[in-house]
Amino acid sequence: MAEPLLDQAVLQDLSDTVGADFVAELVETFAAEAPAMLAELRTTQAAGAAEPFRRAAHSLKSNAHTFGALRLVEGARALELGGLPTSAAAFAERMAALEADFAATLARLREVQHG
Amino acid sequence: MAEVLRFGGAELRPAERALFVGGQPAALGSRAFDVLMLLVESRERVVSKGELLDRVWPGLVVEENNLQVQVSALRKLLGAQAIATVPGRGYQFTLAPGADAPSPPRAAAAVAAPAVRGGSARVLVADDNKVNRLLLARSLQLLGHQVESVDNGRLALERLRREPFDLLLLDLEMPDLDGFALLARLRDDPVLSELPVVVTSSVEGVAAVARCIELGAEDFLHKPVNPVLLKARVGSLLEKKRLRDEQKALLAKLSAAEGAPDVGATGATIGAIAAGNVMATVLVARLAGDALTDLPADEAIELLGAWATLMVDAVQGQHGLVATLAGDTIVAAFGTLRAAPDAREDMASALRAATDMAELTQLLAHERRAEGRATITTAVGIASGPLLVGVAGAARRAVYACVGAAVERATELVAAASLRPEACVLVDEATAAALEGRVTLRKLARPARCRALPTGLA
Repeated sequence: MAEPLLDQAVLQDLSDTVGADFVAELVETFAAEAPAMLAELRTTQAAGAAEPFRRAAHSLKSNAHTFGALRLVEGARALELGGLPTSAAAFAERMAALEADFAATLARLREVQHG
Repeated sequence: MAEVLRFGGAELRPAERALFVGGQPAALGSRAFDVLMLLVESRERVVSKGELLDRVWPGLVVEENNLQVQVSALRKLLGAQAIATVPGRGYQFTLAPGADAPSPPRAAAAVAAPAVRGGSARVLVADDNKVNRLLLARSLQLLGHQVESVDNGRLALERLRREPFDLLLLDLEMPDLDGFALLARLRDDPVLSELPVVVTSSVEGVAAVARCIELGAEDFLHKPVNPVLLKARVGSLLEKKRLRDEQKALLAKLSAAEGAPDVGATGATIGAIAAGNVMATVLVARLAGDALTDLPADEAIELLGAWATLMVDAVQGQHGLVATLAGDTIVAAFGTLRAAPDAREDMASALRAATDMAELTQLLAHERRAEGRATITTAVGIASGPLLVGVAGAARRAVYACVGAAVERATELVAAASLRPEACVLVDEATAAALEGRVTLRKLARPARCRALPTGLA
């Protein structure tokens, strides 16, 4: 069964710890930074650069953890631990899912922030 | 810069280029004032000796001991702890505006780095991920700490070498220099090896955690970092560091007070002082001039403290080791810990220390004369030869044993120098012969087998 998109308790804890305003800033920082990580995954896969590929996946996973974005964590984690995908078609499918999860996560995070 | 900066009993007035201590204008030269201003303006960081020399003596090639003289004069006015020596890195002004009044000058060694003050620490966050970096910085700021952040290991190392921090929060996955490599660099750095490091990472498995601990990390927090754990770990580590810093400061004071080796400026540790037979140069300095016992007790003790502070600075400024400090006499050795490849370098260092002592004593004497107090001089005896060295003594009280004919000879020479009416440095024949051509020395008829140093090094 797929993970839920967001763990609300993680987000609430974050908000309680650093303040809702700061979480909103953090979400926008994530929105600005994550596309580069996704692009890095595509570039490094195409170049066959295993270590930069793993680092990009690790970085995305780390940010997803921060917001309790469980589905995004799982997708990024699978790429980090799985290494460079050998099948281009399978990778394209995974990336599409990951990007969709990112878009959905971001929309949900913004929704929560704006009440 | 504010019009007036107050540090307890001291008041710095930049516009007037004046320093007031206890409400009275301090006799401060222009260079000393410039050194003080630069240190105060940059009090958030360590200022290297090179930067001080470049900015206070712009366009001039100046010997480092000139800077040492100015710093020593400032310490005498503001208290030894006001300007900390950070070995190998430079100086840092440690008094906060409005801080307690400077305590009377003492013969305490300088504290290497500012400790945690009032629960607030300086923390460096090293993480290439912007979201993580911002979050950690915010969490630490909410705990009351001052936070700086960098996005790679190389920049972290540069900042740590340039400025004092109380704690490092370190990510593992970083470009340029990753967390593991940075931990290894810190472990091998004599100044930074004791910096507490907490690794924060979302790396999975225990192997990475174990490796970090092996490389010297104090703790490991998995990301996302739990704020309650962060607070507890950071608080605990900072408390440990505070206690360690206090112990170090206390040890430094005790070692100076009890005659144990004061190794602060040499970068050596007590454990690193091995017993051995070495060729070295011994310097014995004695406070001369009007009899101390004729002075009121408070004034005499204050004078001893001020004099000892300056003399210890002079020795350490030339990388010498203070073996014993006994009231009005100081015994220092050059070449016992880290002998120069050429023994003449150690001899030259001892002579430079003697010159610094003379200059510093002149400053102190000048100030005393201005206050209508009895004048003072410093007599110095220097001798070179084989020495037996090492830490020796009873279980509860040890000293840096420095035994040999050179000690006896230097002691004889300082006794002879003390009898002369003027400030005098007497050097034994062995040292004088070895430095022939490098130092201007005057042959003396009495005492036999020695020469006087009337000027600085040639």
